[in-house]
Amino acid sequence: MGASDSNSERPAAIGRLLWSRIIWRHWRREPRLTFVLVGILALGVAVFLAVRLANKAAVSGFGMFTESIAGESDFILRPRAGTLQVEVLRQLRDEAGAVPVGIFPVLEVSAALSERPENGLLKLLGADLVALQNAGTYAGGGTSVSGDSAGGDDSILGLPDRGFVGAAFAKRFGMEKDEQLSVIVNDQIIDFTIAGVVPEDPNRPAVPDNLVLMDLPGLQKLSGLEGQLTRVELRIAPGTQAEQNRQRIGAAMWDLAAAHGWVLETPEDRKSSVTQMSAAFRLNLTILSGLALLVGIYLIMQAMEAAVVKRRAEIAVLRSLGVTPAQIRAAWLWEGLILGVVGAIAGIILGRLMAVGLVVAISRTVNTLYYETTTSAVTLETGEMAFSLVFGIVASLTAALIPAREASLTAPAQSMRQGGQGGGLALLRNWPLGLLLLVAGIAFAFVPPRVLASGSIVPVGGYVAAVVLVLSASLLIGLLFRPLASLLGRGKRDAMRHYAASQLRRPEGRHRLTAAGLAVAIGMSAAMAILVASFESTLTGWIQQLLKADIYVAAAGSNSVTNENTLSAVTWQELEKMEGIAGMDKLRRYKVSIGDNDFFLGGADYNDDPERFLQLMWLNPPKVKGPNSLEVRETEPFPGWISESLARRFSLEVGSEIPLPTPDGTKRIEVTGIFAEYGNETGTLVIARNLTRDWFQDDRVSNMAVYADPGADIDALLEQIREAFPGVVARSNENLKAESIRIFHQTFAVTYALEAIAVIIAVAGLGLALAGLLLERRGELTTLKSLGATRADIARASMWEGIALAGAGLVGGYLLSFLLGWILIFVINPQSFGWTLSYRVPWLSFIGLAIITLITAGAVAWAVGHRNANLPGEREE
Amino acid sequence: MIALQVSKVTKSYDKDPVLRGVSFSLEAGERAALMGPSGSGKSTLLNCIGGIDRPDEGEITIQGRSLKGMDENELCQIRRSMVSTVFQFFHLLPTLTAAENIEFPLQLSGMEEKERRELLPSLIEEVGLSHRSHAMPHELSGGEMQRVAIARALSIRPKLILADEPTGNLDSATGEIILDLLEELSERHGIAMLLVTHSPGVTRICDRTLEMQDGVLVDQSTAVV
Repeated sequence: MGASDSNSERPAAIGRLLWSRIIWRHWRREPRLTFVLVGILALGVAVFLAVRLANKAAVSGFGMFTESIAGESDFILRPRAGTLQVEVLRQLRDEAGAVPVGIFPVLEVSAALSERPENGLLKLLGADLVALQNAGTYAGGGTSVSGDSAGGDDSILGLPDRGFVGAAFAKRFGMEKDEQLSVIVNDQIIDFTIAGVVPEDPNRPAVPDNLVLMDLPGLQKLSGLEGQLTRVELRIAPGTQAEQNRQRIGAAMWDLAAAHGWVLETPEDRKSSVTQMSAAFRLNLTILSGLALLVGIYLIMQAMEAAVVKRRAEIAVLRSLGVTPAQIRAAWLWEGLILGVVGAIAGIILGRLMAVGLVVAISRTVNTLYYETTTSAVTLETGEMAFSLVFGIVASLTAALIPAREASLTAPAQSMRQGGQGGGLALLRNWPLGLLLLVAGIAFAFVPPRVLASGSIVPVGGYVAAVVLVLSASLLIGLLFRPLASLLGRGKRDAMRHYAASQLRRPEGRHRLTAAGLAVAIGMSAAMAILVASFESTLTGWIQQLLKADIYVAAAGSNSVTNENTLSAVTWQELEKMEGIAGMDKLRRYKVSIGDNDFFLGGADYNDDPERFLQLMWLNPPKVKGPNSLEVRETEPFPGWISESLARRFSLEVGSEIPLPTPDGTKRIEVTGIFAEYGNETGTLVIARNLTRDWFQDDRVSNMAVYADPGADIDALLEQIREAFPGVVARSNENLKAESIRIFHQTFAVTYALEAIAVIIAVAGLGLALAGLLLERRGELTTLKSLGATRADIARASMWEGIALAGAGLVGGYLLSFLLGWILIFVINPQSFGWTLSYRVPWLSFIGLAIITLITAGAVAWAVGHRNANLPGEREE
Repeated sequence: MIALQVSKVTKSYDKDPVLRGVSFSLEAGERAALMGPSGSGKSTLLNCIGGIDRPDEGEITIQGRSLKGMDENELCQIRRSMVSTVFQFFHLLPTLTAAENIEFPLQLSGMEEKERRELLPSLIEEVGLSHRSHAMPHELSGGEMQRVAIARALSIRPKLILADEPTGNLDSATGEIILDLLEELSERHGIAMLLVTHSPGVTRICDRTLEMQDGVLVDQSTAVV
């Protein structure tokens, strides 16, 4: 049949023929390899999807808690600092006039379970239950929180020790209506009765499992915040005039808020500005989660390339029979597509399962470092599924591109000879391009970060630099083979080691591809290890510097960044008088807002000790030194110290002025010092506590550092404090340090797991690559056997080759990691988080990882060699 | 002295008999051509003698040592010390230089480097490749590759060389040179050679010809040169 006979159906028919006779049969003949490849792709997609889903769930766990009870509000009114007075409600009602708007006053108070004060942070929500009952008018049917539907009654109104919980809460703690729960509010232990369980409503978000709903006056009384509110939520009644009313109320409230220095925002704005704080953390995690798939791409590329080499004679015959290069290429791309579809579907299922475990870990970190969030149920939406499917297919097709091209380049003449080409990307031999990319990567690191409209900073240059350096390492890795071969072949005592070394002297494409995949996995994992080690080293130094007191006393729940529990003046004054206590430093912490940005305000006193203020780790120390350096001025601007994160977020330096909103009006603060702080990335401003006490009319403290008399028995003193004040959490210096390090490691637990997965995939890839190489070298194996090499000898040669390849991956990976670590620590980290870290390489971990990788690679390679040594030899008769 | 003794060797693949009671022997320094059509069992016989394959029945003895009952490692030892093979497609290890290819069996047998270094130049010299010793296999011509393969086979000073179509991949002039070389070396070192071939020309260096058909040795005639 001539070329002129071709019609539109023929290429499709040939494609089907190639698929059914060549591709499909190959995979059926190699079920284990097919399973491994689909598994690797699935794992890569699963890790990526799991992190995305868990990130999403951790963010959606942040909620304005009333939204699950009263429906979502249209506006939220809150103070920039401190609380609103209940009188604001009258003003709001007056301002609303005849417009039908629901006004819901809310007070939120932190609480902790008395039995597990550090693990069970609760949120007590005080709302006007009568107004909530009437919320149906505004929400088209509000959730009933009293009466039969909640299994409760109306008798809780105004009571400080009764509240409703959601079904998730009841399930989590195994509690029912009328049961009692012992909770700590501020420094008091209260026996709390569950008045009813709010039933789940499929039309509303679930009530979080740490929320207790109380009547507003009851909670005000319980928390000592009589007449005070955290916020007021406004909801426009539905109807034809709703949009018009929304605009009218919005305009009126905006003016009112501006006049009083309040914040008026929509729930979406609030959620977005709060969750934005963890965006960098989540982005870093997402990028790291892509590592497994990136390494997987190298691996799939290798396996498909091996399939090309193995089937080269077959392809050559097809070419001789008239199949065009384009048809061959299409067949291989189809193979990649189908592998991608199957792998991605499996990955989606696996990812959904993995996300359930991950969301707990990510929520814990978000809670510790950023904002209050509950562990939400993971939901797999169609959009996420589609994204993962496309992601998996694109990865698989990317991996198939090179082998497909190589297959299509097979000449018909080759059909009579065994293919001896190792394949691999010709680009991988282009080391001058690698050098160019190396220089470009370093240059990109100096590109300034991009500030988004939301105010968050994205280190674009840093990310591009990291990607370019990874590519550069893939191209430069080949330069390591020759020196490694010399090292391996030195002495020539062992013939098989010498033979293995000779393979590396003339590396094939697959050698380069394998080592590049391993180098990328090792490089990125080791870079993360450098970041973690640097972080740990800096943090440990910071903790050592900061924690000099003998005992630390805090209100329960201090592990969470959002904890608002405090110690009353009576408590701290009594504590101060205890025998054996030489002095105390006190800190009162508030959350305040400037513009759309929240940060922490700390009112600190240093108990007149001339040395203690030095405990902060200064990046820019104050000129005026001494214990009272924060109190030296009696008029504005008052001196204040800021953390590095705050300096970065608000572009502040020493001498800058901050207009600090307080209940007593806006106060001017002059920055006199900048200190390092690694406890949160929100940022902190520290001023004298006597100022916050006056401005906020509040003599309570959030935590205290207690100094014992010289020679005092710390354990006995600790016991004494715990007995006298059972509602507070008291810890020794060592205990707090250990707890801080534990939280640190908990924060990085997810990253450790992601790194381990990438390295495992890379080592598996090494095994696959060697299997492919040995398959190609069947002729050589026959020769070796004819020369007297035993099966063990061949296995040993394979082992040495595997070790050398792993060595190349390790050396290349570590070199890459030093650069990536530098970018992470000096570019991405300060730009994303605002933390200055000292560069530290975890040599011991590196040695450990190298030993484990070499041993594993050696073992995998030996097993592959041992198995392949018995492959039937080529017959030439 | 008998270098090779093959006695009533049979071998089947999937109940399909390939060798059916083959018997013959070779004296030290004797050269025999093994001829026969494709599928007659020549390569299988060669593999059995080389210890790559095992006969179902019968016995093969090399320099008085029976291969029967030997485990894989013992067979490897035989290949390392007594039997060498020269292939049609040379089968040099492509990542080793010519000299390294020749040296490789010596390394395998555990010879000290000093001793190897002393022996190697003479081996290279013997096949006339002193000027090409550092070349990689792909840089060599077919004849040069076969010389390297012969030197590699010679390196262990074997008692028996099995040559599978040693000139089959060479032009006739080069083939003649290689045959002369094999003859010369066999005589110089007293090595027995069994040459599998389709080419009657190869028989000129052989003392006799063994003709195989359907797994049976049908003729053992003395060569007429």
